[in-house]
Amino acid sequence: MTPAAPDAPVVSAQHLTKTYQLGDFAVHALRDVSFQIQRGEFVAIMGPSGSGKSTLMNMIGALDTPTSGDLSIDGIAIGSLDRDELAKLRNRTIGFVFQQFNLLARTTALENVKLPLVYSRNPEWQAKADDLARQRLREVGLGDRMGHVPSQLSGGQQQRVAIARALVNSPSLILADEPTGALDTETSLEIMNLFKRLTESGMTVIIVTHEPDVAAHAKRLLRVRDGRIVEDRATAELAL
Amino acid sequence: MNILEFIRTAMVALRLNMLRSVLTTLGIIIGVASVIVMSAIGGGASKQIQDQIASLGTNQLTIFPGSTNVGGRQGGFGSAPPLSEKDVRALREGVTGIAAVSGNLEGNTNVVVGNANWVTRVNGVSAEIQNVRDWPVKSGRFFDAIEASSGQKLVVLGATVARELFGGADPLGATVRLNNAPFTVIGVLSEKGQAGGRDQDDIVMVPLATARSRLVGRVNVPDQVGQILVKVDDRYDIADVTQDIERTLRERRRITADAPNNFIIRNFADILQTRNQTARTLGLLLAATAAISLVVGGIGIMNIMLVSVTERTREIGLRMAIGARGSDILGQFLTEAVLLCMVGGMIGLVLGVGISWIIAALLAWPMHISPWVVLIAIFASAAVGILFGFVPARRASALNPIEALRYE
Repeated sequence: MTPAAPDAPVVSAQHLTKTYQLGDFAVHALRDVSFQIQRGEFVAIMGPSGSGKSTLMNMIGALDTPTSGDLSIDGIAIGSLDRDELAKLRNRTIGFVFQQFNLLARTTALENVKLPLVYSRNPEWQAKADDLARQRLREVGLGDRMGHVPSQLSGGQQQRVAIARALVNSPSLILADEPTGALDTETSLEIMNLFKRLTESGMTVIIVTHEPDVAAHAKRLLRVRDGRIVEDRATAELAL
Repeated sequence: MNILEFIRTAMVALRLNMLRSVLTTLGIIIGVASVIVMSAIGGGASKQIQDQIASLGTNQLTIFPGSTNVGGRQGGFGSAPPLSEKDVRALREGVTGIAAVSGNLEGNTNVVVGNANWVTRVNGVSAEIQNVRDWPVKSGRFFDAIEASSGQKLVVLGATVARELFGGADPLGATVRLNNAPFTVIGVLSEKGQAGGRDQDDIVMVPLATARSRLVGRVNVPDQVGQILVKVDDRYDIADVTQDIERTLRERRRITADAPNNFIIRNFADILQTRNQTARTLGLLLAATAAISLVVGGIGIMNIMLVSVTERTREIGLRMAIGARGSDILGQFLTEAVLLCMVGGMIGLVLGVGISWIIAALLAWPMHISPWVVLIAIFASAAVGILFGFVPARRASALNPIEALRYE
């Protein structure tokens, strides 16, 4: 894996299709999708359920591979990668944030944040795992909660731990699936502002959501319907 | 992920479900403990017999009358004509390769000193018994050949009898009553220890003639002996000497060429070897039975690990999403299973050794725990962990991360 040039797109999809075979019946989850996402962008992917939004997200997250077409994450074509190579790619280049936070129960915030480093097979990172994790927790404003376990943290705090975990391996992009789905409005706002700050410092953030309010925080909107991208525009044009 | 990380993660996971972990491990604990206890029982029996062989010596023959067949009716054990002092003499003079030989007449007696009494075995023997059985006196002396055949009321006490009746006092010269007749103690035998679950030192020895006339009833011929004990000279082959003895006795007892022996020559070491085999087989059988419980314990581990994998599907999905490879997940669950089994194995080991000690102390059963059994128990529990942990770990590692993350 050669690192991409600094100005190369973080995500590059060319004529991407994904077809699931359910018995005799073929489900076309994605039909000829092409787009690019550049470094530092803040993108929202919207679409009703069944639109292919989840399929697209799984593919950008290197959890799934396309049936045809090319998808490159950070310059690496994922189509030809095997399970282990996909795992390595996820570990190095993608930070996941989930609706249900997915923190390990009864495990401290610090240990949760360190988890990606444990799987990194990078002795240098593993040696300073504690320092890296503490730094990320401070960045999300949880410097005083490092020893707390998830049940001692509020929803917003748990999601911030999850974001710190997503950041700890210095990924090329953050992929957030309904990151505010389990949070109240005020906390949602905090989380979205955190994402905004991250993009301002050069991080690429992709949010998958069906809430327009949330999508409005992003700078660019990709709308998916029936396996196609039906809208791709800057949200500033919404002129809120 | 390195092995330390695996162990650390496994410990966290096992502690999260402490009660379940303990209950799951119980199967392995019981399995390993029972393997150890059972093999300790078997090993003890086997070791005891081996000690017995060593204390008896491997070059001793015992001859006793066999059974007769009268008109098709097989007589009982010892129904054949008894052996006598003449037979002893004939063997001593006619058979080469005999180092020592003595007649023996055995019975039970009650030894009384003052108001203490002790029921024990009494052996009427000749002075040569000391050489036959390699059994010198610890103090005093043994009766000599003349005393042995003269019917004097002399007795040599076994170490246990001396201790039980006299405590620390010196029994030499004391008068004890055997079946109400006064005997003078002239010696105390050195200690031989336990053999076959019986205390060899729980014995008194008196001259053969005395035993015949006073202590052991049911004497058919004037110079009868119950058995003849022979010690074969080390320089001669025991099989040759046995054959020679057989020929001599057949001649003396006028057995025709086609008739079977009406006496038995037994090499006790051989019998004990056979018993040793039996004991070892029994021990193996016990251990094998116990091993079944280890397998059952392993199935319990597999069951719980499968439940755990299902319960933690989302966690597995998360770990995969953030970069865990199949081998990481496999290693994690395998480590959990092996750790459960190893901890169970260790506890089972301690428990098994403890129970063995208690059994040994309470039932006076000789327990013998071989270091091999301990090693095997530890390795077996690890093997059970790998064997039964593999299927659940394999299943976990093969999960599709997308579906695992969506699992409710």
